[in-house]
Amino acid sequence: MFNFCEKAVEIANKYKVDFGDIRIIKERRQDLSVKNGEIGEFDNSSTLGFGIRILLNGAWGFASSDIINTKEIERATLLAIKIAKASSLLKEKKVTLAKESVYKDIWQTPFIIDPFDVSVEDKFDLLFKIDSVLRKKPEIKSSISSMSFTREHQYHMTTEGSLIEQILLHSGAGYTATAVLNNEVQIRSYPSTHGGHALSMGYELINSLELLENAERTRDEAIALLKAPQCPQGELDLIIGGNQLALQIHESVGHATELDRVLGYEESYAGSSFATTEKLGKFKYGSDIVNLVADATVPGGLATAGYDDDAVKAQRWDIVKNGILNGYMTNREFAHNIKENRSNGSNRADGYNNIPITRICNLSLMPGKYELDDLIKGVKNGVLMENNKSWSIDQKRLNFQFGCEIGWVIKNGKIKSMIKNPVYQGITPKFWNSCDGICNEKHWKLWGVSNCGKGQPSQRALMSHGNSPSRFRKVKIGIKS
Amino acid sequence: MTNHKKICAEIFKITKGTQTEVLIDSKESALTRFADNVISQNVSNTDTGISIRLVKNGKMSKVNFNQTDKVALKKAIQNAFYLLKNQKKNSGTLSLLKPVKNITEKKDLFFKATAEISPEFKALQIKKLAKKCKKSGQTCCGTLENGYNKTTIANNLGLSLSHKESYIKYSITVKDKDGFGWAEQSSNDIKFMNFDKANEIACKKAKLAKNPIAIKPGKYTVILEPAAVPEFLMFMNFYGFGGKFYLEGQSFISGKIGKKLLSDKISIYDNAIDGPSAGMPFDFEGFPRKKLALIEKGVVKNAVFDRKTALEAKVKNTGHGLPIPNTEGPLPLNTVISTGKTSIEEMIKQTPKGILITQFHYTNMLKPLSLEITGMTRNGTYLIENGKIKKAVKNLRFTESIVKALNNIVCVGDKQVTTSFWFFKTSAPALKIKDFNFSSSTEF
Repeated sequence: MFNFCEKAVEIANKYKVDFGDIRIIKERRQDLSVKNGEIGEFDNSSTLGFGIRILLNGAWGFASSDIINTKEIERATLLAIKIAKASSLLKEKKVTLAKESVYKDIWQTPFIIDPFDVSVEDKFDLLFKIDSVLRKKPEIKSSISSMSFTREHQYHMTTEGSLIEQILLHSGAGYTATAVLNNEVQIRSYPSTHGGHALSMGYELINSLELLENAERTRDEAIALLKAPQCPQGELDLIIGGNQLALQIHESVGHATELDRVLGYEESYAGSSFATTEKLGKFKYGSDIVNLVADATVPGGLATAGYDDDAVKAQRWDIVKNGILNGYMTNREFAHNIKENRSNGSNRADGYNNIPITRICNLSLMPGKYELDDLIKGVKNGVLMENNKSWSIDQKRLNFQFGCEIGWVIKNGKIKSMIKNPVYQGITPKFWNSCDGICNEKHWKLWGVSNCGKGQPSQRALMSHGNSPSRFRKVKIGIKS
Repeated sequence: MTNHKKICAEIFKITKGTQTEVLIDSKESALTRFADNVISQNVSNTDTGISIRLVKNGKMSKVNFNQTDKVALKKAIQNAFYLLKNQKKNSGTLSLLKPVKNITEKKDLFFKATAEISPEFKALQIKKLAKKCKKSGQTCCGTLENGYNKTTIANNLGLSLSHKESYIKYSITVKDKDGFGWAEQSSNDIKFMNFDKANEIACKKAKLAKNPIAIKPGKYTVILEPAAVPEFLMFMNFYGFGGKFYLEGQSFISGKIGKKLLSDKISIYDNAIDGPSAGMPFDFEGFPRKKLALIEKGVVKNAVFDRKTALEAKVKNTGHGLPIPNTEGPLPLNTVISTGKTSIEEMIKQTPKGILITQFHYTNMLKPLSLEITGMTRNGTYLIENGKIKKAVKNLRFTESIVKALNNIVCVGDKQVTTSFWFFKTSAPALKIKDFNFSSSTEF
């Protein structure tokens, strides 16, 4: 594939571009699901294509195509140059890129079992088994169990001389049972919502999830929720962990610290951020025990790779340190805006046909000192919530509302009863500053987000958020319509 | 442009003897994105996606790919046969559809000039707005995009249908200190675009949105501009009118056909054939679409079905199938809320106290059966007092049931605006709603 890359780089150099690169991507994907005893999804995809980025006269152009031959690469490169020239009709100052070393390297996601070597029959067999357990009781009107696997083989060449080959592998699985009775709908999912649990691993992840072992409990909890009391209302203490805390990190810290958003480049669509650059190093984002670390090297992370799509080597850095805003997700174009002379490598594209944009890296809340029992013991009147069901946050990432699948009332340090429709609202810095307890590393786990949407044209990205159950004081819980 | 007919013929030649369905989607798209009065991204894509679905003796397999050379086609077909051979019988697998008569494109939605707009044209168009904003101390951001899609659905039982559609969309946000204004224009044909009008609206809205005051959350009369209404329609389409959700008892209309659930001022249709939401005149099984009443004067008329859910429900197929297999079931993709008689100006004039809302942001489902959703206001939220816009207000979070809101209709706007989002194309007028619930506010 690098021979095709050479053609694009040759043309780019001929036109004396400021910077140019080409990414050829060969992707294999498999999505399988069983819904209500029948095949729900059965997609086996293989795609191939390339995207060319040109920076000329300080302005960007990008063109992509799924036709791989020299003539098409020439056409697309010239089109990207033409587009860059059009972009330069409306610019204030030249785009310049932060310096990065030149790399010639191959990087691959470590795995034990290649998911594409496991037969489709075996995969469907497991999904049908789960489905039959979920549907064993008549209250379950809908059940979906699914698996998803992706292998992305990237060939990246830049006009600076970098030549990077990467093979990224992602696996995921999960299921949801929906119980319906007398105008009431309740769902329970395992291991997490929104398509299940995913990591950069092979099929060994699926084998480790104990999917079948948890199906009966998940089903019975969905049914029990139908008759459970509603979530209480008031300013109560809140304990969250798992994929709910992962999404809380994602929405209220991850997106808020993407530097392109902070600078206003995402304003028209996803919005901007309250965490503006003058707050760097000063702003009290959370309580002293809140430490959030971005890490493109963490094993299993969905954003873990050798390099980002700016050809910047993977790094680990602090976003919030001892409660203070300490960093952003950056790319080579915007790093200088926070006086950094190097990008921290957060520029990623969705496939070959999208331009790389600033993305949340794997971003995790570092473990604290608590055992879960002690965390609960410290709550007089509160709620423990699990598994995200709905999410919404304003365009500056301040006012948020999250709904979970299930909750448990905590009274005087003990878990009392199950509740349905648990919901909480908050304002980001106030919420993170109310955090007074985080469980220790024994409870810490990496949770995947496989559906992060951003950009125009819309792009999807994957990343992981590690956390352990954490306690927040006096949170607005239970919202009435 | 990829030759869809030729690809189908090549595939059917190899798969002879096995029922084969081919779905091809080709697109050329270009998008210029701008922020802070300069172009920040500028992209162009050429893509074709092909899927082959084989059906035999109750078994099914499917492969997706994007390479159209003979070697790639052969490899994809081999893979599909391998998967088919190793499948178990699936109880829900239907035989492919034989050609259905009377599918006609009533409305031509492809315009070459729109599909082929140059990057220079877009840059210069955006430059006009940037110049206007700079002059008035404002900044602009947004997108100007164009392109076309061609979709072909064919099978070796003789079905062969194609649809081609061009588009242009200009979406802009203008910032005036702490005020934001927004406007959008979209069409299948560039000749219906009015860039200057969009620029004027967004700039004016931003100016009016400066120095917003905080108001207490609670129940207010609201006027939703047409751009805020599709959020309601999309949740109704996804969680309400689909045959699968309906049959599973998960929809607000489950078991309620013929009952009056909404205000008699509300009528909702799905119409891919004609009108403002027109699109592909057949579904992804190749079945013809037609205008279908979903809600008429507040009364539930129909859910939508594909071949499989129609069999389950023992009703006629309405032509709303998605690519098979899928977990969502049939969905209405081209919905329209009928207009009323009141202009937005008239709505404001008749409001002693209320809130005018330009747009919603990040809405999400809370309770599917009552269609209770939450979300934020965005890009221009204004307080109305004594029939006039008084001040801008800081953005608010609403938590409200769509069913309840559409029962509290005071009046319906006289003009529709069409919006495309995800795979839905919706058209809606402004709505004036009483007792709309805001559950909290934000800081800007």
